[in-house]
Amino acid sequence: MRLTSLPSLLARRGRVVLALGGLALLSGCNFNFWRMDGHQSTMDVSGPVARSQLGVFYATCWVTFVIFVLVAGVLAYATLKFRARTEADEHAVPPEQGHGNPLIELSLIGASVLALVIIAVPTLKSIGYTYDVPAEEKANAYEVNAHGFQWWFKFEYLDPAAQIAGAGPLVTANELVIPAGRPIRINLRGMDVIHSFWVPKLAGKVDMIPNRGNFIWLKADAPGYFWGQCAEYCGDSHAVMRFRVIALAQDEFDKWRKDQLAPAREVAAARQPKAQFAAYRTDWKRNERGWSDQFELSPLDSWRTQQEPEPKHEDPALIDQGKHLFQEKTCITCHNVRGHSVDTMIGGKMQKVEFLGSPAYPNLTHVGGRTTIAAGVLENNAEQLARWISHPDQVKPGNKMYVSGYVANNIKLTPDDVTALVAYLRSLK
Amino acid sequence: MDDTVKSPFLGKEEHAPAQPSFVLWRPTAKTGLMSWLTTVDHKKIGFLYGAFALFFFLVGGFEALLIRLQLMVPNNTVLTAPQYNTMFTMHGTTMIFLAVMPLGAAFFNFIMPLQIGARDVAFPRLNAFSLWTFVSGAIILNIGWFLKDGPPDASWVGYAPLTSKLYNPSHATDFWVLGLQLLGVASIAAALNFIVTIINLRAPGMTMMRLPVFTWMTLITSFLIILSFPAITIALVEVMFDRQFGTNFFEVSNGGMPILWQHLFWVFGHPEVYILILPAMGIVSEILPTFSRKPLFGYPIVVFSGASIGFLGFTVWSHHMFTTGMGTVATSAFALATMTIAVPTGVKIFNWIGTLWGGHLKMRTPMMFALGFIWMFMIGGFSGVMHSAAPADAQQQDSYFVVAHFHYVLIGGSIFALLGGIHYWFPLMFGRRVSEFWGKLSFWVIFAGFNITFFPMHFLGLNGMPRRTFTYDGNMGWNTGNYIATIGALILGTGIAIYFAVVIYTYFKGAVAEHDTWDARTLEWSLPNPPPEYNFAVIPTVHARDAFWYEKHHRAEIEQEKAAHHQEDLAHGGIHMPFQSIYPLVASTGILIAAIGITAFDSNPVPGIHWKLGLALTGGLIMFIGVYLWALEGAEGYHIHPDEAGPDASAAPKH
Repeated sequence: MRLTSLPSLLARRGRVVLALGGLALLSGCNFNFWRMDGHQSTMDVSGPVARSQLGVFYATCWVTFVIFVLVAGVLAYATLKFRARTEADEHAVPPEQGHGNPLIELSLIGASVLALVIIAVPTLKSIGYTYDVPAEEKANAYEVNAHGFQWWFKFEYLDPAAQIAGAGPLVTANELVIPAGRPIRINLRGMDVIHSFWVPKLAGKVDMIPNRGNFIWLKADAPGYFWGQCAEYCGDSHAVMRFRVIALAQDEFDKWRKDQLAPAREVAAARQPKAQFAAYRTDWKRNERGWSDQFELSPLDSWRTQQEPEPKHEDPALIDQGKHLFQEKTCITCHNVRGHSVDTMIGGKMQKVEFLGSPAYPNLTHVGGRTTIAAGVLENNAEQLARWISHPDQVKPGNKMYVSGYVANNIKLTPDDVTALVAYLRSLK
Repeated sequence: MDDTVKSPFLGKEEHAPAQPSFVLWRPTAKTGLMSWLTTVDHKKIGFLYGAFALFFFLVGGFEALLIRLQLMVPNNTVLTAPQYNTMFTMHGTTMIFLAVMPLGAAFFNFIMPLQIGARDVAFPRLNAFSLWTFVSGAIILNIGWFLKDGPPDASWVGYAPLTSKLYNPSHATDFWVLGLQLLGVASIAAALNFIVTIINLRAPGMTMMRLPVFTWMTLITSFLIILSFPAITIALVEVMFDRQFGTNFFEVSNGGMPILWQHLFWVFGHPEVYILILPAMGIVSEILPTFSRKPLFGYPIVVFSGASIGFLGFTVWSHHMFTTGMGTVATSAFALATMTIAVPTGVKIFNWIGTLWGGHLKMRTPMMFALGFIWMFMIGGFSGVMHSAAPADAQQQDSYFVVAHFHYVLIGGSIFALLGGIHYWFPLMFGRRVSEFWGKLSFWVIFAGFNITFFPMHFLGLNGMPRRTFTYDGNMGWNTGNYIATIGALILGTGIAIYFAVVIYTYFKGAVAEHDTWDARTLEWSLPNPPPEYNFAVIPTVHARDAFWYEKHHRAEIEQEKAAHHQEDLAHGGIHMPFQSIYPLVASTGILIAAIGITAFDSNPVPGIHWKLGLALTGGLIMFIGVYLWALEGAEGYHIHPDEAGPDASAAPKH
């Protein structure tokens, strides 16, 4: 079913059917794309806002489908019936030179207006419903801020229980965790250029515009893992500015929030460095997919697995080395790791340097617990982390870490540096 | 090869005007480069508009093929991200401003004066100025390909603040801003010219309600241009000031409002959509009656709905902004206004079908394109109605569904009609007729390729694929749709290649077309193929809506009338022709130089500022001199006597 004009198009144009069929044979494609059941499908929705919008879409589809069948039928009939069949026919006495029929015209205009009313009614109802959280659910609404940057999303939790003394609200990057079954009201703001917040399965998009207080509301019917993407062209890496929404049952959400409020996890430094250097793949191509099919078998479970620390696979010495590199390579200029610091010689004195970072860059306090890195583009595992910090420009052309970090400050990472940094970042659960 | 067809637009040497007594030089060349650079003949100018437009149509098409190749498979690396962003920016800008609009202008120039029985447009030199300013704009827009700054890459809508110096430091965006600004100057000058021509230069008896529909659509489109372009002119000036002189119209940190750009852009941008489609509707409204051999069904309603579309086109701009958080009232108002505009559009489709009904349909190539137009435009129109439902649009906006929609309207609509129009008027313009077989073959290849490319995009969009993305992952369910679309694009490209090969072949070696090739209904077909420089040896008197059809069926009456008019012309000393002029070209060149100078300016002073200032001032001076001499040389002309030029110049129908 779904897109209504397809059958009529196929019925109408045998040649198109033939061409499409021929292509299918050639390419061996399975024609399941018309089912539209992808991660960002607007036709297979998981929340009331997207459902309301889908309902309006179906209304427009059916109305236009009926009109199409009628008009196209008459057009096809007229074309076939009144076609000149022979050369002689073309030079026959011209047909009657009629100039029109006001009665037909007026009734067709009337019919068109009626058809539009059928579309207008659900449209107006849905405009009201999708605009803001319904009054009766306002009390239950959960509020967050979403800020768009080139090219990542920052989320702030306004919930009083998510405030951290001395550090402001709880902050995450590129993965918005929400309680399922509750209306979520998200304040949207573009921090540099215009971006757009779009999680197709939960709600249509609303733009994130600088100097403009936009908002969106959405609700996930049930716990789930949802794909989202920036939908307004925002510069070089617009295509790889993605994010995720993870909806959890209220109790699981509460536990997640409690864990997030804690400072970053510390791994006690081992006295005996047993540093062993993993060789990560280095031959990544530009734009290469950084995502495993394994992950998608059950994305929400993959997310849950990601939350758990893995002390067995950790090398405390390597992690400590990575922690120091995190300061030496100036990562701390931008990235916050709440609670972490290193002692280092500054001006001949040993000083404690906290990993404060800046609020305008992704907060890495619990980065190990996220399922994605580089704004939803790469899966968060050791291999992809190594790829990302080695060659960020190959994943995200024009990104600031590369342009105003690596290049501007002439930062070079050896394979050993990468291994240590990966170990450190992986430990930040 | 038949050599009885004269090179088009060739003048008569023996009637070359004497130099005016004035000291200013008036060029008189009728052939060669100078004749093209100094021409004021609406047919030559129309031809040049068409030639430039078709060239840029191929450039834009090539850009589109690169885009499709990049998206053929997931995670592809044919283009880098900046290259891809450049391609879609230039593809959109080129197709709209350098291909479809000037192709429309080519028909306005060539056909409209012939349809109303005029000998030229009202301001022939202004017409030349429009052409050369358009060429200047096209040069600036594309100049980045040859410079290290690169071509524009902020998308064809150029949303602030992405176009600001902070996020787009290279001069690429300056080229875009100044290029569009110049194209706006060209369009407004041309539109004023067409309006004055249609209002003032109609032949006797050609009342407004007898105007051919194509001329009506020219008039409405011209009004849309002069009313909508000022909005983008203002917006572009603001961006230019922000970038060149450090103002704060869109500078957020100083209180600028990026949303202002969107309102100004779409107040222009939506009427622009109708600027692209109304000429196409006009062409189809000419082709269908001719090949159905009966008048357009419901002429007054078609004209009135065209005017309604033009008027309503100014009330719906914010439907491009449903996702910008306008609030429920504005969203509802623009949704309803957008639905309203579907009514006059639908009425046109009903009337075209009514025209076919009961006719004798001659299935020639132009008719194929016109019918293809109705089918494809209908699909594009229906997906347009879907967008008018704002909640549904929240999902479709900036997805491939929108990409599918506007390509159905702009290719299936505008381009199909324009390609059909080229076939339709080719015999009149060049005296040769395109082969039916090759014409129809190109139509079917284009038709199939177009649908294979763009129909799957509806599914891609509903499946959540955003537009303007240089890559996508293989796990999103978008692989097959994109693969098919790319195959389709290659087929479409092949079809366009066949079309161009056929048209170019026909121009040189095609079958010679007989007079009134299609048994047509409007005045332009009363002229010889190709029409002489002065168009009408005798200005016709119009007695009915389909003026030429009436002439063909009332021959005796018309002959008498023409003889009388001829005597009047002789009493006035023959046919008055305007002198050629070089100054429109000089003025446009000055504007081009000044604009290049301005693009080089920077709000943060950099070395070389004097040189750039000098360039801008020099350009301004050249423009000033050009305009001054243009005014000084005067609108003088000369007289010719077609009778003495031989039988070839006689406007009497020859069958």
